[in-house]
Amino acid sequence: MSTSFAEYAWLVPVFPLAAFAILTAMGKGARKTGPWIGIIGTLASLVLSLCIAFERMTDNADDYSKSIEWLQVGSLKLSAGFEVTNLTSLMLVVVTLVSFLVNVYSQGYMRDDDRISTFFAYVALFTSSMLGLVLSDNLLTFYIFWELVGVCSFLLVGFWYHKPEAKAAAKKAFIVTRIGDLGLLIALLLLFWYMPDHALDFTTIHNVFSTPGGVISVGITTLIALLIFVGAVGKSGQFPLHTWLPDAMEGPTPISALIHAATMVAAGVFLVARTFPIFEASDAAMTTVAVIGAFTAIFAASIGLAQNDIKRILAYSTVSQLGYMMLALGVGSVSAAMFHLFTHAFFKALLFLGAGSVIHGAHTQDIREMGGLGKTMKITAWTFGIGALALSGIPPFAGFWSKDAILAAALDKNGILFAVGAIAAFFTALYMARLYFLVFAGKPKQDGHAHESPSVMTVPLIVLAILSVVAGFVDTPFKGWLGEWLTGEAPEHHGSGIVMVVSVAVGLLGIYIGWLVYVKGTVRRDAVSSRAPALVRTLERKYYIDELYDLLIVKPLRSFGKALQAFDDYIVDGVVRLAGYSTSALGRLNSRLQSGQVQTYALTALIGIVILALAIAGRRFW
Amino acid sequence: MLDNVPILSLITFAPLVGSLIVLLLPGQRSQWLRITAIAFTVIPLALTLWLFAAYEPSVGGAAYTEHETWLTIPLNKELLQGFESSQLRFDYHLTVDGISMPLVILTGIVSTMAALATVHIRKRWKTFYVLFLLLLTGIYGVFLSRDLVLFFIFFEVTLIPMFFLIGIWGYYGREKAATRFLVYNGLGSAAMLLSFLLLIATLGLSATDSQVIFSGNYDVLLANLTDPQAMANLTADQAGAAEFLLNDNMRWGAFVLLMIAFGIKVPIFPFHTWMLRVHTEAPPSIVMIHSGILLKMGVYGLIRFGAFLFPEQLHDWSTIIAILGVINILYGAIIACVQREFKLVLAYSSISHMGIVLLGIASLEEVGLQGAIYQSVSHGLISALLFLIVGSLYERTQTTQLDELGGLAKSMPFMSGILLVGGLASLGLPGLSGFVGEFLSFLGLFGSMKWITAIGVLGVLFAAIYVLRSILSITYGRTPEAFENMKDARFIEALPMIALAALIVLLGVYPSILTDLMQNGFNGLLEQLHTRVGG
Repeated sequence: MSTSFAEYAWLVPVFPLAAFAILTAMGKGARKTGPWIGIIGTLASLVLSLCIAFERMTDNADDYSKSIEWLQVGSLKLSAGFEVTNLTSLMLVVVTLVSFLVNVYSQGYMRDDDRISTFFAYVALFTSSMLGLVLSDNLLTFYIFWELVGVCSFLLVGFWYHKPEAKAAAKKAFIVTRIGDLGLLIALLLLFWYMPDHALDFTTIHNVFSTPGGVISVGITTLIALLIFVGAVGKSGQFPLHTWLPDAMEGPTPISALIHAATMVAAGVFLVARTFPIFEASDAAMTTVAVIGAFTAIFAASIGLAQNDIKRILAYSTVSQLGYMMLALGVGSVSAAMFHLFTHAFFKALLFLGAGSVIHGAHTQDIREMGGLGKTMKITAWTFGIGALALSGIPPFAGFWSKDAILAAALDKNGILFAVGAIAAFFTALYMARLYFLVFAGKPKQDGHAHESPSVMTVPLIVLAILSVVAGFVDTPFKGWLGEWLTGEAPEHHGSGIVMVVSVAVGLLGIYIGWLVYVKGTVRRDAVSSRAPALVRTLERKYYIDELYDLLIVKPLRSFGKALQAFDDYIVDGVVRLAGYSTSALGRLNSRLQSGQVQTYALTALIGIVILALAIAGRRFW
Repeated sequence: MLDNVPILSLITFAPLVGSLIVLLLPGQRSQWLRITAIAFTVIPLALTLWLFAAYEPSVGGAAYTEHETWLTIPLNKELLQGFESSQLRFDYHLTVDGISMPLVILTGIVSTMAALATVHIRKRWKTFYVLFLLLLTGIYGVFLSRDLVLFFIFFEVTLIPMFFLIGIWGYYGREKAATRFLVYNGLGSAAMLLSFLLLIATLGLSATDSQVIFSGNYDVLLANLTDPQAMANLTADQAGAAEFLLNDNMRWGAFVLLMIAFGIKVPIFPFHTWMLRVHTEAPPSIVMIHSGILLKMGVYGLIRFGAFLFPEQLHDWSTIIAILGVINILYGAIIACVQREFKLVLAYSSISHMGIVLLGIASLEEVGLQGAIYQSVSHGLISALLFLIVGSLYERTQTTQLDELGGLAKSMPFMSGILLVGGLASLGLPGLSGFVGEFLSFLGLFGSMKWITAIGVLGVLFAAIYVLRSILSITYGRTPEAFENMKDARFIEALPMIALAALIVLLGVYPSILTDLMQNGFNGLLEQLHTRVGG
């Protein structure tokens, strides 16, 4: 076989890695050239990824994988390698495309920042890690990149290190996702010891778990699947580990786009998709995934209704949409999940970059202080509108098709899951309508002159807007091309008619209510908050989850640490001090006996003799 | 290429020579003294790297063994019939194998970096460097010697210089810390000596045609242990003598004494309080040596004497050791989370990291044992790096209290960046050396003790908490006015930081460079385990 692009797939993460290395070596001197190095690095990756993807679409090529030995201990070998499948090539395109656009956009957005070259270095490393994760052919390599993705997001969330909120958010992002990572690590250890020949590569995992009545018992399979899912819950911001994701808004806005659309949070969904055979082998695990996903979808969407920070609303929307993807996986449809990940990447990147443009122009993040921006920021308003419609699931925008696929798959499995998904879709349309109308409609509330962003920022918006319109057509109920390409199976036709009607209806209803409240004014804005203040308050406070964790976990842990500290100081070290003190006390006592007074010596000797005599006599008699 | 060079002796005694040369230099010329001292840490480093290049794991240390009879003492007792005389013999016996090799290289690297970090020493340079170099001879000797008496002497040689280095050049509580160090380690040495004497008088037995020899030669001990027949043959003439030579109770006694001796050094909970003081009170360059290398002498001793000589006892105790390891991990990590002093965070984090080493040892699997050594090397590099930064930081800020620091990333971006790398390595980020050591140790133990390992893995989470909490409060946040115009690292400070960080990355990305060295290192031990204990 002639050489194919797939053989050079390992270069995809290498380009941005090289960009990172160059940027780090250049240090602060690269203010002008720095952004270009980052852009060129990701552009090279994008071109190569597109070549690989097109090659796979036309040739129907076999999966290509190659690995090298990373570490050998005795007879055990740990390898590192990459694998190109249809799934990975799709992810490569998504990641490189979004990352490239974010890079271009950041050149404008971050222009005035002193540490712009550091920013581009981190973004390059972030992209590289994510690409490495996507390409990994085994779970160990995957885990390594998984952690690197986490640390890069930590660096970027805390990029404005002098802000106390950024510091706290970065720390939280890393620690909360680390809880998930522990699950994945233990799953990795379990797999290592239970898999035949200690194999950790995805192909073998696929084969072992796809075989009915396989070598690994159902109990262990469930345990492994759930532990992997814990990892995915942490990374993809699912309940109950979702709390870091909205706080991660403290990072620069382009980073939010990157984290929420293509890298970081997508990793969790991708992990479950990659190890899907393990989940399929356990009904309990599948149910858990579906329930957590559906719950997160509606839970986060309801919080989104009551937030006022433009980025925070979008953040909760991400959590909610990731919930949809998990729901899709839980009901057994990898293709629907990946399809939604694909479309979501574009419209969510669009929305975040649009929000960045809004913040850039309006100098605030509070949507209550905005208004009428549609007149001054035409491109931003139009593109943002497209993104909002895509997210709300209005046809023919991309989000409609993928959300429809998920709802259809859910309905096949369970009516309740479908209903939850549909209600969440209604919430989604409602909070997006609220956001959009408050920001772009009405009269300007600020004296300042909001202005449109420079073209380096608007062009990526336009590109993403186009993608948000067309991306959905790769897999419609009428022609399910993507699903077939991803899974290799002919698409099933669901009873899409009802699903489509319901999904469009709830979407339009949400927008209509939003329009009534925030534009027309037929319904007063405080209609709900005046009747049920406790409910609104609870939503605003995000169901008090942060406070709850602080009370139940953080504070007890801190007290426990303090208690252990006291134990260490007073008991453990106390015994040591006591031993030392009693030794020297004994010494002092003895030295007092050495007083030079013969009478004392004689007395001491006498006492000694008496004791000895008694002892001897005692031995005689007993 | 190393055939006729006594390279191990050169490595061991080069610092001693340096120490004598420093003695001859004028005491006021700090620059001369420093350069001489650095030169005599670089020489053994260069030699160890040469050794590293020439070392073949399949051959092991056989090519580099240096073995001479050092001292013989005729004995008057007639213990066994059929022999004309008996004597006590101590050997000068140095060798290197897959277990000591990584630690010797670690010593070379960390000691050189510590020597570079001594720029912050402000008084009595001459005495300082004499003791510093003497300490190094002791350390190299410990890792290379294969005679119990020689080992013991080198082990003691490390104690005395450390005592003075802490007590004279340390911070405010230096004298108490030094005394605590000496007393605690002295107790450990006493236990070790007792155990060694027991071993020499029993297992040290070997015989030629006409005479019986009691020696401290490690190879003899190991041979007698591996092949009990050897001793049975010797004592065949006297019924019951074999029983007397080293019965089960005595074995256990010797084993437990060794565990205590080296457990104090590691340190294993609850014997750890002395090392907290050393971490906080000793000058940072000395803590680099202490935390970077000296603690590893404990690990080395546990493996070399504990595991190899008493595999059955260790096997019986493996659950206990694993539990102690988990206690170390969690106890250290949780307390590290609430510290206000950065040096104490690092001290407790060392306890936690050494717990991971214990898990690796308890596994008695090749993966775990290699993980234990890997973790030792990695922790050596990481804590050397972190204390290097502590030294440079303290020079500028005059404090290492977390509350008083903040925002240093603004005035010292380079040092803050390196500190972050060190911290990330410490919390086990893949791609850096800490991960490999942790992962291999966990992997090894997980095969036999799933629950204990899973609990130990929790330490990784706490590591993230204490590392980020402390490092972010140093480098992130608002910059206090007093710190705004501080200078970043000078070249002489930056050099070892870059070198250590680069090594940490190298070991994280390309672990084979170290694990290939250790191949075959555990062969003897594992065979023993499989034949005698049954895996």
